[in-house]
Formats: sequence, structure tokens, C-alpha cells
Amino acid sequence: MLGDPVELDGVTFAYGDGALRREVLRDVSLRVAPGEIVILTGPSGSGKTTLLTLVGALRAMQAGSCRVLGQELSGASEAVRVGLRRQIGFIFQSHNLLGFLTARQNVAMALELDGAMHEPERLARAGEMLRAVGLAEEVEKLPGQLSGGQRQRVAVARALAGSPGLILADEPTAALDRVSGGEVVRLLRDLARSRGTAILLVTHDPRILDLADRIVTMEDGRVVAGASPGDALPGPAGNAAGAPG
Amino acid sequence: MNALTDLRPAARQAPRPPGLGASTRLAIRLAWRQLRSEKARLASAIAGVMFACMLVFMQLGFRSALFESATTLIGAMRADLFLMSPMTLASFRPEPIPRVRVSQALAVEGVAAAAPVYLAQSSFRNPDTGTRRTIQLIGFDVEAGVLDLPGLASVREALKQPDSFAFDARSRPEFGPVTAMLAARGPFPVQIGNRDLRVVGTVELGSSFGADGNAVVSEVNFRRIVSARRAALVDLAAIRLRPGADLLVAQAALRAFLPPDVAVLTQAELRAHERRYWEEATPIGFIFSFGSLMGLIVGMVIVYQILFSDIAGHLKEYATLKAMGYSNGHLSRVVLGAAGILALLGFLPGMVIASILYGVVADATFLPLNMTAERAMWVLLMIFAMCAVAGLLATRKLRDADPADMF
Repeated sequence: MLGDPVELDGVTFAYGDGALRREVLRDVSLRVAPGEIVILTGPSGSGKTTLLTLVGALRAMQAGSCRVLGQELSGASEAVRVGLRRQIGFIFQSHNLLGFLTARQNVAMALELDGAMHEPERLARAGEMLRAVGLAEEVEKLPGQLSGGQRQRVAVARALAGSPGLILADEPTAALDRVSGGEVVRLLRDLARSRGTAILLVTHDPRILDLADRIVTMEDGRVVAGASPGDALPGPAGNAAGAPG
Repeated sequence: MNALTDLRPAARQAPRPPGLGASTRLAIRLAWRQLRSEKARLASAIAGVMFACMLVFMQLGFRSALFESATTLIGAMRADLFLMSPMTLASFRPEPIPRVRVSQALAVEGVAAAAPVYLAQSSFRNPDTGTRRTIQLIGFDVEAGVLDLPGLASVREALKQPDSFAFDARSRPEFGPVTAMLAARGPFPVQIGNRDLRVVGTVELGSSFGADGNAVVSEVNFRRIVSARRAALVDLAAIRLRPGADLLVAQAALRAFLPPDVAVLTQAELRAHERRYWEEATPIGFIFSFGSLMGLIVGMVIVYQILFSDIAGHLKEYATLKAMGYSNGHLSRVVLGAAGILALLGFLPGMVIASILYGVVADATFLPLNMTAERAMWVLLMIFAMCAVAGLLATRKLRDADPADMF
């Protein structure tokens, strides 16, 4: 193993120029170990969403170093970032499924980026993923025919289908009730445990905080606290959370 | 067992993306699935392309019919070579050449026969209603057998009679039911110019933009109708070569021998000359080309609107696909694929309807309108280009789908 899935060092990011320049991340350093679930929390405007977009290679870096799955993103081209995204599973606040595709076809979309895979393989694997998230009966349904929780579970299946090395999730439970929210997060945790996949999750939802190995709190663009909720969970090796607060 | 536990080992290498062919196929499939899901929008997009397609077909059809019909008369005249004044722009307004050139042509090696042809426009009184219309008169030595016209053989003898003429059965119907009356009661008198002639039979020429109808008369009868003409001037000369004589050699010999006040043309050159007049000297060709362009622009705007609103309405989904690792290029191919599908789906019904309209318009106007494979190919190309431009314009909207805005 070359290093941890996520290694941030001195990341600073600002929007705007000149007088309008507004720093949203100041010298942030953070590591996420394989199989670790890290929850990023903090008030809105604290920079956690920007951090997630940088780690997800959705935005170009400005200052500092950010290695994701072994790839340095500082100065990386658009093509490199697009390539890296294929190894990351994204789960958004809203499911963002394509309304004209069935659940199975939506999940298969994540596999169409792998040229080694053929259509029957893709569909079989998409079906497996949907069974794994408890939607064996809903495989051929359109998103419009599914409940909110079911849709989010399809989105989870889509994020996991390509065997990503890292999962990034933004408020995955915000639109869900307590029961379905819990299910979605438990699915994620099972994956992290069994596959050694790192998960970086932004949430305000207090109901899911106890699933994390570590909770990183951000405020005003800085990491102010990185705590493990309870010592029962194995502390991942070599995590260094925190810039001076 | 849980499928999550038997996933492949976490990939450290990016999966190899599919090749261009495979990913284009997937892009087109995605485009089709998206189009198919919204039937009303798909129908309106197809209707737009179909409309543009029909418009272009009609404009090009009219354009080609004009040029073809302009040369109907010339095309119907069968002879090996023609003499014409170099000043003549089009056959409906001929400049005369000296009659002596016809006799002089006989001196050239390979020429078997030469005969003068007279062209003039006169008025024809409808035998049914009595109204007058302009008709194209074609006068020549019917006995000489130098110039042939479709259907001439059956009326050649009858045309020798004084004050007789053969009516073009494919003239516009405004000239009256001449063919039917002829069949019902045999030859009957009709007024052409200020003279009463008898219609003795029919030929098959066809109307054109320059002439609504035609009447064929003998040389002598032509002079009786158009009495103001000087006998020493003719409008065209038809030349028949000896069997086995080389057309181009004879043409070159005639050019060398005759003074430059006559041009020596083959049938194809005469036709091309006539066609060029309508293409270049009149705005008509331009008008129809412009009409086609307008059709294509209207179609392009419709397709652009449909594709643009498809993207604008699904920005979040497109952004999600980008976050998943789909490149901008791949998503552009999805949009272009949709444009291509619309082109094809709109073209097919458009072509069928245009074929039907061609029949309707041809019946109404007596213009030679018909669907040719060549024109269909050109229109298909144009419709594809139209949709491709609309698609390319619409793909600019894809830039607004920013995956960084998704969180």
C-alpha cells in the first residue's frame, strides 16, 4: 500500500479574486485510512463541502497537496481528474438517478465506464448490487416508482457497483426518515468493513454519528477537532487530523 | 451472503475505458432511452425535423423541376447537332441566325441533313372557353426527318396539310380539353395568333416555366401564323450526321467552317445552356436554394430547442454522470446521438410525405417533380448536418452541468 486513500496536507482554497476573495479552507490536513469511516461535520459555510469536492476531484486544487487513491491532485489535468472519479463512489443528498432508466440500468451506468465489461455482465452485477441493498424486487422499476429510501439505496448501489477505492457522501440521509437513513448508512458501513473501502461522509444528522470511526469537525475553514466516538472502534493507523484551530 | 463482501479487490488502477466505438454505441443507446422516455417531446422534435425535411424536399424539387422543365422543349428535340445564335440566352427568346448557315452546314464532312427550326410565342384561343393564352410554336420541316419529337411520327403526314398543327398533349389544362375534343370529334379548328388552324393530332412535350404549352407546325404553316418573320432568319438549325460519323469531329469541323455568328452545340450542351440561363440569369434558382436554407434553419432551431431543454432540465443528472467519471466528450456524444436519431426519425416520414406531395404538385402544375435517390441522399445529408449543428450548439449547455455544484 502506497499510502492512505485520502491524504490532505496544507490545503487552502478560496473563491473569488481580489477584494471579493473569500477563503473557505485554510491549511487543512486530513488522512482517511482504508476501511475507515470519517464523518465531516460542522456549521454550514465551514468549508466541508468544498473539501469534499476537492477530494472527489470535482474541483481544481489551488494550494496544498491532496493525494487521493495515490493520485496527486495538485496541478492535475481535467482528464486525470475525470479518470480518478471513476474510482470514487459518489452519493449525493438527492439521489440524482436518471428518471428514464430502470434501477438496474441506473446502476449499470456506473459500470459502462469499464471497457472490459460486457452488457450481460454489467446487468448481472447491477442486479447483484441491488439485491445487496435489499431491492431485489425493484430491479426493473423506474426511479419514479420507488420510495425516497429505495431511490437512495439505488444511488448507494450505483456508487458501490464499480468497486470504488473511496466513497464520498454528502448528507446521504438528509432526505430520508430515520429507518431508511439508518439502513443506507449501515449498508455503507458494511461495505467499508468488508472491503476496506474508505468513506468520507459529510453530515449534520446526529442519528448516524455513532457509525463513524472518527468525527472531524470543521469551523471557518479549519479542522477544529478530530475525535473517535468511543474507543471500541479500532483506531486507524497514521491518521493526522487537524491543523491548528 | 451479501454481494458487498465478494466485490473485487479495490482497484488501484483506473478501469480501462471502453473504446470509441463501444462508448459511442453506449452514448447513442442512452440518447435513445432518454428520447423515448418523453413521448410528447420526441413527437414534437420528430415533427420539427420532418417539417424541415419536407420543406427542403419541396424547394429542391421545385428547383430541379424548374430547371428540368426549362429544358423540356430542348430535351424533346432529337437531333445530333444544333446551330444556335451565340446571343441566344434561352429558347423562349431566341436570337435569329441566317438561314444560309443551314445550307452551308451541309458542306461539312459527315453532315447528312440540316433543317431550320423556328421558335415563336403566339396566342392560343381555348376552344372551350374562348380565352387566349401564350403558347410556344415550334415550326420545322416535318418531312425532312432531321428533327424528331416524341409522338411526331403519328402526325407527320397530317402536319403537311395547310393550316394544321399538332397540340402538345402535356400542355397545361388552361388551353382547354383539346386532346379530349380531338378524340371525340376528330380534327377541329382552333385560333392561333390571328389565324384559324386545325388541330390534327398530338405530340408529347410537356409544359415549362417559359411556356405553358406547345404547338408543332410545319415550316410553311409557321410562316402563315408568324407573318412578320423574315424568311432569311431562323432560330435554330438541327443537323443529322451520317451513320458512323463522329459527333465531336463533326462538331469541330462545323465550328471551323461556319462563321462565328452561330454556335455549334450537341443536344447535351444545348440543354446545359438552357439550364444555365435559369440557374444564373434568373433569381429563381437562388430563391429555391434560399427556401431550402430557411427550412434547415427552422428545423435546426426546433432540434436545438428540444436538445437544449433536455439538457437544461437534467443538469443534475448530467452533473452526476460527470462526477461518476463520464467525460464531457462522452456526454457530448450522447447529445449528438440524440440529434442523429432525430435526424433519421424525422427524415423517413418527411421523405414519404414529400413523395406524396410531389405527386400532388406534379398533377396540379404539370411540372416534372419526382423523388430521386440522389436528392434523397442529399437531403438526408443536409438534415444530418442540420441536426449535428443543433446538437453541437446544445452541447455548450453541458458546461453548466458542474459536478462541483452537486454537493
